[in-house]
Amino acid sequence: MPGTLAKAVALTLLVAAVLVPLWAVLVTSLASRGTIDDAGGMVMVPREIDPSAYITIFSGGDVTRAVWISTLVTVLGTTLSLVLTVLAAYGLSRPGSVAHRGLLFYFLLTFLIFPGLVPSYLVVTGLGLKDNIWSLILPSAISVFNLVVIRAFFMNVPAELLDSARIDGAGELRILTRIVLPLSRAVIAVVGLFYAVGYWNAYFNAVLYIDSNDKFPIQRVLQSYILAGQSPNVSGTAVSLPGVTAYPPTLAVKMAVVVVTVIPAVIIYPFVQRHFTKGMITGAVKG
Amino acid sequence: MKPSLPGASTDRRTMLRLLGLGAAATVGGTALAGCSKEAGSQGSATSADAIKAVLPTYQRVELLKPDIAGEGPIPDGYLSYPSQLVDAVTEAPGRGGPPIKTMSPWWGPAPPPLGRNAYLAAVNGKLGVEVDPSLQDGNTYADKLNAMLGARDVPDLLCAPNWEVDKVARFSDAVKALFTDLTDHLKGDAAAKYPYLASLPSGAWEYSVWGGRLYAVPFPTDGPFAYALFHRRDLLDPAGLAAPTTPEELYEFGKKATDPAKGVWAFGSVFEMVQQFFGCQQTWRKKPDGGLEHKYENPAFAAALEFTARLFAEGLVHPDTAASRGADEKQLFKAGKILMYQDGLGAWQGMQSERVKELSTFDMQPLPVFGASGGQPVIWGSEKPVFWTFLKKDLAPERVDELLGVLNWCAAPFGSREFELREFGAEGQHFSRGADGTPTPTELGRKELGAQYTHIGGRVPVKVRSGDTPEYVQDYIGYYRKHIATMEKDLFAGIKLELPANWSKNLQPTDDKIRDIVRGRRPVGDIEQVRKEFMDTGGEEGRAFHEKALADNGR
Repeated sequence: MPGTLAKAVALTLLVAAVLVPLWAVLVTSLASRGTIDDAGGMVMVPREIDPSAYITIFSGGDVTRAVWISTLVTVLGTTLSLVLTVLAAYGLSRPGSVAHRGLLFYFLLTFLIFPGLVPSYLVVTGLGLKDNIWSLILPSAISVFNLVVIRAFFMNVPAELLDSARIDGAGELRILTRIVLPLSRAVIAVVGLFYAVGYWNAYFNAVLYIDSNDKFPIQRVLQSYILAGQSPNVSGTAVSLPGVTAYPPTLAVKMAVVVVTVIPAVIIYPFVQRHFTKGMITGAVKG
Repeated sequence: MKPSLPGASTDRRTMLRLLGLGAAATVGGTALAGCSKEAGSQGSATSADAIKAVLPTYQRVELLKPDIAGEGPIPDGYLSYPSQLVDAVTEAPGRGGPPIKTMSPWWGPAPPPLGRNAYLAAVNGKLGVEVDPSLQDGNTYADKLNAMLGARDVPDLLCAPNWEVDKVARFSDAVKALFTDLTDHLKGDAAAKYPYLASLPSGAWEYSVWGGRLYAVPFPTDGPFAYALFHRRDLLDPAGLAAPTTPEELYEFGKKATDPAKGVWAFGSVFEMVQQFFGCQQTWRKKPDGGLEHKYENPAFAAALEFTARLFAEGLVHPDTAASRGADEKQLFKAGKILMYQDGLGAWQGMQSERVKELSTFDMQPLPVFGASGGQPVIWGSEKPVFWTFLKKDLAPERVDELLGVLNWCAAPFGSREFELREFGAEGQHFSRGADGTPTPTELGRKELGAQYTHIGGRVPVKVRSGDTPEYVQDYIGYYRKHIATMEKDLFAGIKLELPANWSKNLQPTDDKIRDIVRGRRPVGDIEQVRKEFMDTGGEEGRAFHEKALADNGR
């Protein structure tokens, strides 16, 4: 059974490659300062459970607030994105709808042409969204990839089903909500997860558009913790500067923030996972 | 195809790279540095005479006599904290203008904003006008700057680090289009109205001129050397390891000190320091027969490269450093996992004071610089300011006066009440006083202070003894005094260079190739080829540009 053994070894290594870093992060976040200094960095073997890092981050206020902001952005954003994407996908999936070819082409064009950093920035500031959490939601409210996936799924719904509903007197909205959506739970779950993870991870938009510290989402705060105390990178080499006397958080605190950032994805994922195969295959084989 | 997630910055980065829109993507990295210069830019140089003509008249301010007087770019040293502070600014700079929006970089968790920050309230109370600081992450500052400058969306006061400016496309055009020309407000004796700005070193002001006009207030460096090679004296002495005084001894030290079984390696990053030991210039030097020689053409560079590659090849460098550029060398050094590494001298006091609290014997010291085979070392350095602060364009003269007044307040020197408030906050709230009068930050102080007023105002740099690093001031100034004579003269001092695009975009790729050679991924002999590629694809253009700049200035 050398084949099985090789497979087992390969899979174990693969799993370890995923789990070991997570383990190191978790253990380091719960380690005392002495343990971290002895290890010279990340801790692999737990010696004690020291929750002080978590106490520090949740008593400071900025991490707690950032978690709330990110939660708000994720919930609002995912809801809005799903509503918009489903409505657009449904319209574009019906061959008879007005200008649907032109519109679809227009959407697909955004795969090829990127608006550019400065134009995007100008639109966001022009709409008065600068330093507003909507700047983390609206610019990325519709992902064309997700739109195409949902549209493909909708096109798979048998036309006879929709025709019979129409004969029974159902309007388009009723057909969508009563027939198409219940049949599309799998793809909605998957796309919803894509959106939610995207919003939870929103970082670059926050760097660009959010100025006030109290509106930072968690990833932006995470970054400031992780890189705090590291010297600015000047010409590829870290150089310490005068006048920059940050009091860097300990490694345990940094890792505690990482744990807080990772946890939601770890919790949500298993619930959506069962829809995954079905939802993904649809997008793959019919598009 | 991978899903396009909302805010998918990976895609954006790729696009940015393709569009050459800036170093936007690499967090804290400089892989794209230099790519952002507008293609075809030929560069420009402002002559030294034109720059001298617009500088503020230097006016020394000495509220307190220093215990160790600095010389030239070396800061003054104070061995005790003054018991009597002086009011440096008698009239609040506020003129009843609207709140002043500022943006400056910060490397750490963001302090609470205006309205929930007692430190800001305390300082604003003294200023007589509300300053509303926005602290942005220093590691991604160039991304934000690129977007803001491109969209012409700048706050009243904008602070820009000197190395980020290099990453911004057409920065000099942006300066002229977006910021106030300060020449008429600060040139010559006009600066006397803002005495603490006039007391900033002229060497720093020289770098604040664009197109022959004064556009920014500098934040001077507190020591011009680019790097030092730090070593753990507390670990070397007991182990009987003497501090090396020649490259050979440095190598021998590496052999003796490295013990992978114990998790100890002699070195972290050292290459830039080794180049200095071998007497290699930072970039250009004048050849005896005229013309310029780039460091890659100097045999000393090849020798330094070979020496460093050997340290890597023989496993004397910590594997984290050898593997990538992301090694946390400070942490490794603090933990005694590496015994030597190069860093800016700014790392010294903070690390010493932090670590000595846990390990009372901890003693980090810069290794005295030595030459190779009897030759003289060359120390790299410059008086280029760390930050510049720009004022938004099209402000009424009274508003410019108000903003410069605020910057003047923020530049108040050591020994003043303003300095203490700016650096430490309010007594009892943000700091407590030790027996020797030294302020020690409280938890609130650590949380609320983020150099909100320090980075924008410039200040005359000083070194002050503190209880947890009692020897630091003497050591620091002593190191500088010992070596300042060996510092390489900046051929281009006082000349403002805006480098040609072909030159700038070549620096990082070449640096990456050399990195590969140092790490043994390419043979040492490849340096010839790398040098040739560099010279052919922008190096020669850069040489011509630099030679012309020197000739135009009669140097």
